Amino acid sequence: MSMVSAIRRVFVTGLGIVSPLGPDSDSNLQSLLCARDAVTTVGSFDVSRTRCKTAGQIPDEWMKDAFPRRRSSSRLHRSARMVAMALHEARESAKSPCPELLIVGTTSGGMSYGELYYRRLLATHSRKGLARLVGNYMPQKPVLDALNANGLRIPTQIVANACSSGSNAIGHGFELVRSGLRGCVACGGYDPICELVFVGFDSLQAATSEKIRPFDRERSGMVLGEGASFLILESEESTTARGATALAEVVGYGMANDTYHLTQPHPSGIGPKLAMQRALRSGGIDPEEIDYVNAHGTATIFNDATEGSAISELLDDVHVSSTKSMMGHALGAAGAIEAAFCVLALREQFLPPNINFVEPDPIWKFKVVANASRWTPLRFALSNSIGFGGANATLILRRV
Amino acid sequence: MKIFVQGVGAVTPLGPTARETWDQLCQGQRAPRKIMASRLGNREYYWCPVPAKFVSEAARRPRLRRSGTVSLLGAAAGFDAFADAGLKPAPEINERTAIVFAICSGSVIYTRRLYHEIVTQGANAASPVLFPETVYNAAASHLAALLGIDERCYTLVGDSSVGLSALHFATELLAMQPDLDRCLVVGAEEADWLLADAFASWRMATTKEFFEVYGSSGGTIFAEGAAAVLIGRTGSICLSGSSAGQSFFSHRESAAVAVEFFERLHIKAAPDLIVSSANGTFADDVERVVFTRLFHSVPVYAPKPAVGEALGASAILQVALAGLALRHRQIPGTLDAGSKLQTVNCQTRAHSGTDALVSCVGFNQQINAVTLQVC
Repeated sequence: MSMVSAIRRVFVTGLGIVSPLGPDSDSNLQSLLCARDAVTTVGSFDVSRTRCKTAGQIPDEWMKDAFPRRRSSSRLHRSARMVAMALHEARESAKSPCPELLIVGTTSGGMSYGELYYRRLLATHSRKGLARLVGNYMPQKPVLDALNANGLRIPTQIVANACSSGSNAIGHGFELVRSGLRGCVACGGYDPICELVFVGFDSLQAATSEKIRPFDRERSGMVLGEGASFLILESEESTTARGATALAEVVGYGMANDTYHLTQPHPSGIGPKLAMQRALRSGGIDPEEIDYVNAHGTATIFNDATEGSAISELLDDVHVSSTKSMMGHALGAAGAIEAAFCVLALREQFLPPNINFVEPDPIWKFKVVANASRWTPLRFALSNSIGFGGANATLILRRV
Repeated sequence: MKIFVQGVGAVTPLGPTARETWDQLCQGQRAPRKIMASRLGNREYYWCPVPAKFVSEAARRPRLRRSGTVSLLGAAAGFDAFADAGLKPAPEINERTAIVFAICSGSVIYTRRLYHEIVTQGANAASPVLFPETVYNAAASHLAALLGIDERCYTLVGDSSVGLSALHFATELLAMQPDLDRCLVVGAEEADWLLADAFASWRMATTKEFFEVYGSSGGTIFAEGAAAVLIGRTGSICLSGSSAGQSFFSHRESAAVAVEFFERLHIKAAPDLIVSSANGTFADDVERVVFTRLFHSVPVYAPKPAVGEALGASAILQVALAGLALRHRQIPGTLDAGSKLQTVNCQTRAHSGTDALVSCVGFNQQINAVTLQVC
C-alpha cells in the first residue's frame, strides 16, 4: 500500500434509501417535502411496560419483494431485505457501477433473531429449529445476503461505532476514494428496530412518551426508527469514464471521540464541535459557507444541548433541522440516511423540515427549519452524528 | 509505504501478556478448561477462561469499574502492546495514534443478562447500567478514553476473521492520514454459555474437553481473551500484505473461493511458516485445501487447540504469535493435530524463516489473510 499524496474529488453517483418515510429515495423525498410524520405505535413487540410506545417503522409489505420468494429467503432477517433494497436502488441509480468494497455501519444487526432465540430457549429448553436464528443474527449476515441478492462478490467492512456508524462508514469510504486507494465504493448503514435496544433506551429514560421534538425548548426525548441507506461514492475519473451522473460531492469528513462517558456527551459540546471543525478542515471550507445542517438532533436533553451549543458556536445562524423528528432515530443507519437526505436537499434545493417544533430555545443562534420544508438555494450541507462512547462524526456535502 | 508491527499484546487463558502466552505455547502448555453449564437445558461445555488476576490491573481503573469483561480484556491487551513496543501512553503519542477494535459477539454476558431481565421481569425492570455496555463500541470507547485518543476510533464487527479486516482497515488509515504515526488494533471476546449453546446448534461447539484440528471437525471450545498489534511507520517486522478479505455464500463453495482469494493475494514467495485459524470446524477443511494446493511444504502452526477459540480476538492473536515467531525464530508445536494435513508443525522448534502467513477462515462466510516479513 502506498502513502497517499494526491487528493481526488469524490462524487455521489448513486443513492438508495429504505426508511419509515418510504421504500425508495423518491418516496423519501416526497415525505421530506410534505413534512410527513412516520412515527407510529410499535407493533412487533410488547410495549405495555415501557414509557415510550412509538417508533418509526418500515412496513414489511414494502420489503416483500426484496428477495426471490424461496424457502431459503423466508429465513432471512428483515434487515437483509432493507439492505438488499437500498443497495439495489443505489446501484441502479448509479447506472451499474462496480464498487470495489462495501462499507456498512450498524449497531444491532439481526438482534431480533437473537431475542427470538433466547425467548424460545427459555420457553422450551430445546434448540430444535433455532439454528436459522443463530445463522442470521450476526451483523455481517444481512450484508452478505444483500450482496448475494445483488450479484456482488466484494469485501465488506462492518463499522459499529454506535449511532455514528453510518456516517463513519461513508466517511471512511470518502477517504478511500479521495486518497485514490479505491475508485468506487458502496457505503452506508442499516439498523432494524429490536426490543432489546428499544427497552435499553427506555431504561435510560432517553426515550419519550410524547412526540419527538428536536431542538424544542420543551423537548422530552427520542424515539427509535429503522432503515437502510447506501451511497455509491466514485472518483471524478471513474464518474467521467462511466458517464455517470454526479448527484452531489462529498467534500469533508471529521470524527472525534470526547473520551467522556459511555452514554452522555461531554457537556461542553467538544465532541461535535471537534468533529465539525475537522470536517471543515478536511474540506477546506469556511464555517460561514455551510448553508444547512442535518443535525443528529435526537431530542434528548443532553444531545440537543451539547450539539446545539456546538453548532451555535461554530456555525452561528445556519439553518438546522433534525429529520429524526419525522422518522425516529435509525441508529447505525441514521448517519447514512441523513447523508442521503442531504444529497436530496442539495439536488432539489430545499431545507428538510424539523417537525413537532413549538418553541425555540433562546440560547441557540441557529434557525430551526420549523415544521415545513422550504425551497432555498443550498451549496453546502453538513450532517452530524453522535453516538454512545463519545463517538462523533461529521460529513460535508456540496451541490454539483 | 511500509507498515511495521511495533508491538504485540495479549491476555489469554495461558498468560497475562503476549510474551507469557508465547512462552507457555512454546512449552506445549494447554489452557486450563472449565465447565460452563447451559442455564436453559442440560448441556455442558468446556471453555477456556482468563483468570481474573490477569486483568486485575485493568479492573482497578475507575473507568472500567462497571464495564463488561470484553472491555477489561481489550484494555489489558492494548496496554501490553504499547509496553511491548517500548512506549508509554502519553499525550504526544496518543494524539497521533488511532484505534481499530475487532469484535465478534461483543458483550454477550451483559446482553444476555439485560434481555433475561426484560423477558422475565418486564421491560420496566431493565437495568440502565447494563445497556450501555452492550453496545459494540463500548470496549473501544473505554480504551480510547484510557489512552486519551480523541480522534480516530473505529469498531469493526464480523466473524472470527474480523481481526484481519481490522488490521487492513488500520493500514488504510495509516496510508491516508500522514498525521497518524501508529494504529492500535485490538481484538477481544468474552465467552458465555449462550454463545456455546448457539454455536452448538450449528455443530460448531464440541462438548468434549479437547478438540482436534485438521481431523474430525467435531467442533471447537470457546475462550476468553484479547490480543493487540500496534502498527506504525518504523520497525523491524513489516506487515507486508493485508486485505479487506473475501466472502463466500455457502459452505459448498468455500474452499474454491478461499483458493481463489489466496491466489489473488499474489504472495510472491512461499512463506516460511503459517499461523492458521484451525479450530475443529469446517474451517479446517477449507484451510487444508488452500495449504495443500498453494503452500504444500510450509509448516503450519494452529494455536487454538491450546488457547481455545476467542472469536473476535483470535485473528489478532494469530498475528501477534506470527510476529513473535519471526522475532524469536521459533515455531510452537500444534496440540491435538489430526491426520488430514501433513504439514502441521507438532513440536516446538527453531526456524530461520523471514516470512509468515496468517490465514483465517471465519465461521460466518469470511476469509482473510495477512503476511509478515522480517525487514
